[in-house]
Amino acid sequence: MTATPQTSDLLPGFDHAAFDSNAVFRVLLDAMSRPGRIYDLPVQTVSPDGLNATATATLLAMTDMDTTIWLSPTCATKAASDHLKFHCGCPITTDVTQADFAVARIEDDLSFVTDLAVGNAEYPDQSATLILIVEKIENGPAMTLSGPGIKDTHSLAIKDLPQSFHAWRAENHHLFPCGVDVIFASPTQIAALSRTTRIEVN
Amino acid sequence: MYVAVKGGERAINNAHKLLAEQRRGDTDIAEIETDQIEQQLSLSVTRVMAEGSLYDRDLAALAIKQARGDLIEAIFLMRAYRTTLPRFAFSKPIKTAEMDVSRRISATFKDLPGGQILGPTFDYTHRLLDFTLMANGEQPTEAPHGEQPVDENMPRVLDDILNYEGLIQDEPTPVNENAPVADLTREPVKFPAGRDLRLQNLSRGDEGFVLALGYSTQRGYANSHAFVGEIRYGTVSVEIEPEELGFAIDIGDIELTECETVNKFKGSKTKLPQFTRGYGLVFGQNERKAISMALVDRAMRANEMGEQIMGPAQDSEFVMEHSDNVQSTGFVEHIKLPHYVDFQGELELVRRMRTEVEERLAKRDAEDDTSQPEAAE
Amino acid sequence: MEQIVKNPADGASAYNFAYLDEQTKRMIRRALLKAVAIPGYQVPFAGREMPMPYGWGTGGVQVTAAVIGPNDTLKVIDQGADDTTNAVSIRQFFAKTAKVATTEKTAEASIIQTRHRIPEKELREDQVLVYQVPIPEPLRFLEPRETETRKMHALEEYGLMHVKLYEDIARHGHIATTYAYPVMVDDRYVMDPSPTPKFDNPKMNDMAALQLFGAGREKRIYALPPYTKVKSLDFEDHPFEVQTWEDECGMCGARDSYLDEVILDDKGNRMFVCSDTDYCAERQEAGHRGPQHHDQPLGTSKREEAAE
Repeated sequence: MTATPQTSDLLPGFDHAAFDSNAVFRVLLDAMSRPGRIYDLPVQTVSPDGLNATATATLLAMTDMDTTIWLSPTCATKAASDHLKFHCGCPITTDVTQADFAVARIEDDLSFVTDLAVGNAEYPDQSATLILIVEKIENGPAMTLSGPGIKDTHSLAIKDLPQSFHAWRAENHHLFPCGVDVIFASPTQIAALSRTTRIEVN
Repeated sequence: MYVAVKGGERAINNAHKLLAEQRRGDTDIAEIETDQIEQQLSLSVTRVMAEGSLYDRDLAALAIKQARGDLIEAIFLMRAYRTTLPRFAFSKPIKTAEMDVSRRISATFKDLPGGQILGPTFDYTHRLLDFTLMANGEQPTEAPHGEQPVDENMPRVLDDILNYEGLIQDEPTPVNENAPVADLTREPVKFPAGRDLRLQNLSRGDEGFVLALGYSTQRGYANSHAFVGEIRYGTVSVEIEPEELGFAIDIGDIELTECETVNKFKGSKTKLPQFTRGYGLVFGQNERKAISMALVDRAMRANEMGEQIMGPAQDSEFVMEHSDNVQSTGFVEHIKLPHYVDFQGELELVRRMRTEVEERLAKRDAEDDTSQPEAAE
Repeated sequence: MEQIVKNPADGASAYNFAYLDEQTKRMIRRALLKAVAIPGYQVPFAGREMPMPYGWGTGGVQVTAAVIGPNDTLKVIDQGADDTTNAVSIRQFFAKTAKVATTEKTAEASIIQTRHRIPEKELREDQVLVYQVPIPEPLRFLEPRETETRKMHALEEYGLMHVKLYEDIARHGHIATTYAYPVMVDDRYVMDPSPTPKFDNPKMNDMAALQLFGAGREKRIYALPPYTKVKSLDFEDHPFEVQTWEDECGMCGARDSYLDEVILDDKGNRMFVCSDTDYCAERQEAGHRGPQHHDQPLGTSKREEAAE
């Protein structure tokens, strides 16, 4: 099924596949259901160069041979590719339009985001999910969020989030029901923005 | 007096015990063994494998025993087991052209290269109950072997004979043998569905349903008159190609029935007329299913052939959504589950509407009484 | 790689945690994330054959199996009751394959799988409500073809649904839909709330708990994130209204809960009792009494012997 691994450099995946995947998924489900709320990564995971623990855990929990992953140039280290191929068996693409999950760092050139799949009117679920590796997620006033999953409003601050992100996100929101969902992955925490979330940048 | 219903758990367990008791029947009679089922009810076994989408004779025999001979229940058991199995590999396309043939007939040619090989068949048996099977048991005499060995590379009627003259459409062959094939057990079906998905659906579809639809195409609910170009039944080998090996290995043989139909031709002022095709393939020996499947396959190609849709067999969404007997059994039978909450809503509404109508009628009667003081004589 | 739950009571069985294999769970989990991101939209998923029949909750069971973890506490209700046969069967299934704690108390459950009811007790943020759905497509009875209904959702073309409801009013003076009453989600998708009585529709609006819907046979998953606007379709001159009863629950005296009618004899005598068994039991424990309760003058004391 997966290519024969070079086991010498491989890092371990989840300790307990079923329980750890479930724990990470539950946090993702909560995060996507309640955009802007911050959740702690519920498992200890080692991460290969290029990724952080939260992004790694998200990919281990959600991807397999049925999902295609795109890694930004700074994420696409050999260690990261080997790790994902071995533990998830997922195809890794260099064509961002093919990605089910795209992974990048906040400081990367994010112009690729406009090429991510947004689904179509009949199947808006056929869209990509963007995992952004960030340094810090805070309950700060930078953004005021509203929409499904949010009682009244919620605030969220992501360190170093560029202005261009907001322009793209505003456009993405207007595509609804099509669009890309975003998962912010700090070394220890997760927050998400669903395509439904309205953002007021303060 | 009202007592809240309790003890569902005990009732369920007891019902299951009773079921087991009834399955066994009279204990003075020898218990049926699964190998007896596997050997002597082999057509039940293959039907359960075909519609259960799992080629395992022993498990199918077990499922039939456990299901008390209810084949749809047995198919369900097979499916529920199959779904938990990890997938190790995808096979290479099987080669029915290289089938080790037990039976092969064509209705379109009296004689043909490779010959008509009757093999084991109910055809031409007189359907008279054979009471000796009941009274004495049977000791069949050994069937004689043919004088000539069966052609190892039995030519195919459609591809090798008819197509020689270009009289029949080519079956579109994939450019890449290893290109992915749709699999409705792994991906949700989307419409319009490709032919690969339609064929998979038919092959595991309910035999009775596919038969009835095939029959309907012969009675005017489609217009694609069919001849059986060829039916062949026998064994083919299944191969997988493990990535680390880089070459194919044989993992075993399966029994299959394949039917190819030659259908109404198609052409235009500028295009030479050609016959078209329908295709059926099913585990085991099951010509009823294979022929029906080929008829329905051809009928479902209506759009591709630019034909007018005139019957349900041509409507692939209708066919595919209703062919699965595990799905249909579950949903048809689920209406015996409690629905009293929904029914309560309906009761309340019907009572309310009746009251309203009664009030309205009473009011009108009252008005009528006052507005007609002098009725005619 | 997979966690096998050894089941000593049933020697032949060894399942992955919560029955489904990890790959299947991932597939369902991906569909769930999409479902919460597009509230009310039906996400196709490759539903698996389950060891229980289609139409008996396989969609809900698959969703629960994908969501449930070892620390969850599961409650299963059918028609509001924990002790109906199918609820018992599904609860046993998870007790066996996931070894999770189960409960009949709404307040104690972290996951509630339901068929046809929403509990009367208000649900909390830390709870997940999983619905079993037979026909997820609210437009199905108006248009049987999936290719067409998909288009209608894509174009937000819901005129047919309004025409159908309006025809009811013209014919009966009412919207003659009492359960599976269609709702509009976040002003975008018309959604089938599953065959819950319309009495329960208002509870879906702005609910604190996450609501997940699984249709196994039809292979669709959809969701309502918490605090999502859910509005029952209606007309200005015929506003949506829920069922009301002139009676109260015979056991606990509740007048605010959905009541089931119980036929007492063949002479037209009947009583009403809460469909939500936990709600009713809790009220009785708190001392509330209805007219047919055994310690009421009209009640009967036989109940105690019969109910163990």
